[in-house]
Amino acid sequence: MSMKNDDFFLASLVDDLSPVRPLNARQGLLWPLAVAFVAIIAIMPLIGARADLIAGTPHPMFLLRSGILLLLGVVSAGAAASLASPSVGNVPSAWKMALAAACTFPISALVVSLTGGAIGLTERISDGLSCLSWSICVAAMISVPLVLFLRSGAPVQTNRAGLLVGLSGGALGAFTFNFHCPYNDIAYIGLWYSLAVGACAVVGRLVVPHLIKW
Amino acid sequence: MIAGEDILRSLMIRSQSGDKQAYAVLLGECQSWLKRYYRAKIAPDSIDDLVQEVLISLHRKRASYDISRPFLPWLAAIARFRWIDRLRQDYRSAAQSLSEDIPVDDHGHSVAARLGLDGLLAHLPRAQAEAIRLAKIEGYSISETGARTGQSDASVKVNIHRGLKKLAATLESE
Repeated sequence: MSMKNDDFFLASLVDDLSPVRPLNARQGLLWPLAVAFVAIIAIMPLIGARADLIAGTPHPMFLLRSGILLLLGVVSAGAAASLASPSVGNVPSAWKMALAAACTFPISALVVSLTGGAIGLTERISDGLSCLSWSICVAAMISVPLVLFLRSGAPVQTNRAGLLVGLSGGALGAFTFNFHCPYNDIAYIGLWYSLAVGACAVVGRLVVPHLIKW
Repeated sequence: MIAGEDILRSLMIRSQSGDKQAYAVLLGECQSWLKRYYRAKIAPDSIDDLVQEVLISLHRKRASYDISRPFLPWLAAIARFRWIDRLRQDYRSAAQSLSEDIPVDDHGHSVAARLGLDGLLAHLPRAQAEAIRLAKIEGYSISETGARTGQSDASVKVNIHRGLKKLAATLESE
């Protein structure tokens, strides 16, 4: 590139300059949470809320499950949104801790199953499939604003961003279904909720990188 | 004089708000920085193209700069992303030429010129490094490379394929 071409190229970029609003990772987080909130509201008329919630006495397992899923969903969505802005050496890692905490559910379920404490799982397959399908549908809706936000930025870690979009969608999707799900036993939660979150993470990792290429 | 992080960051913030004068200075500084960045990594005749690509990316994605973070890591991340992207494209065209059993003279030179860093080849097993060096850098055909290294034609192709793939993965993980 000659000096003259160089100058012409830079001048054309300068001519094309217009003001832009810098991306804010918090904005990227806001929309997925809003979609999750709407999904929770929609649960009541569509499939009904848990009886203990309606009675105003939530079961401790519901509270524990909600906390872990919400934490995983919010932290993963925040990490995904922060990847819209490229950076070297600034890798968000809080989501790994949240994921490790969430893994206590499937691990506990496995232990309970091995010690003969998992009862009636086969009779509840249709409920489990409802949990799975609802979580995946909501995850897809939650992922749309996150993917759009990433597309408006410049993600350079596209595979990681895809995994995090799927993980956050799955966790928030399962979180919303949790307001309907009547079961409190660890074997059910460990199996079906983990399947929902895991499936969304895998799909996100495989699909989202293609959608956010730039 | 080379502008420091604080100056570049301030120029970028002003550029985001539409200050053309600041933007012109910023682009000039970034151009110099990128040329230095790529000088140790790719063939000299490819530097200008890649610098242009990064400056276009900077222009298109200038909103993605988060003003609470330092500027140079942002620029370096884009520069690295574009470099790996280019490497992938070159790798794909090289893999295609191998699968079609076409002598690799043309692609070889450009791919190897970019990969042609002794430091990178040192990451590879000797057979792969030799196959890449001869067929991709020095321009020998597959059979000539095989004769020189004592490998069969098929082994040369496999070694080049695996070696380039490993190099791309090494660069990506760095």
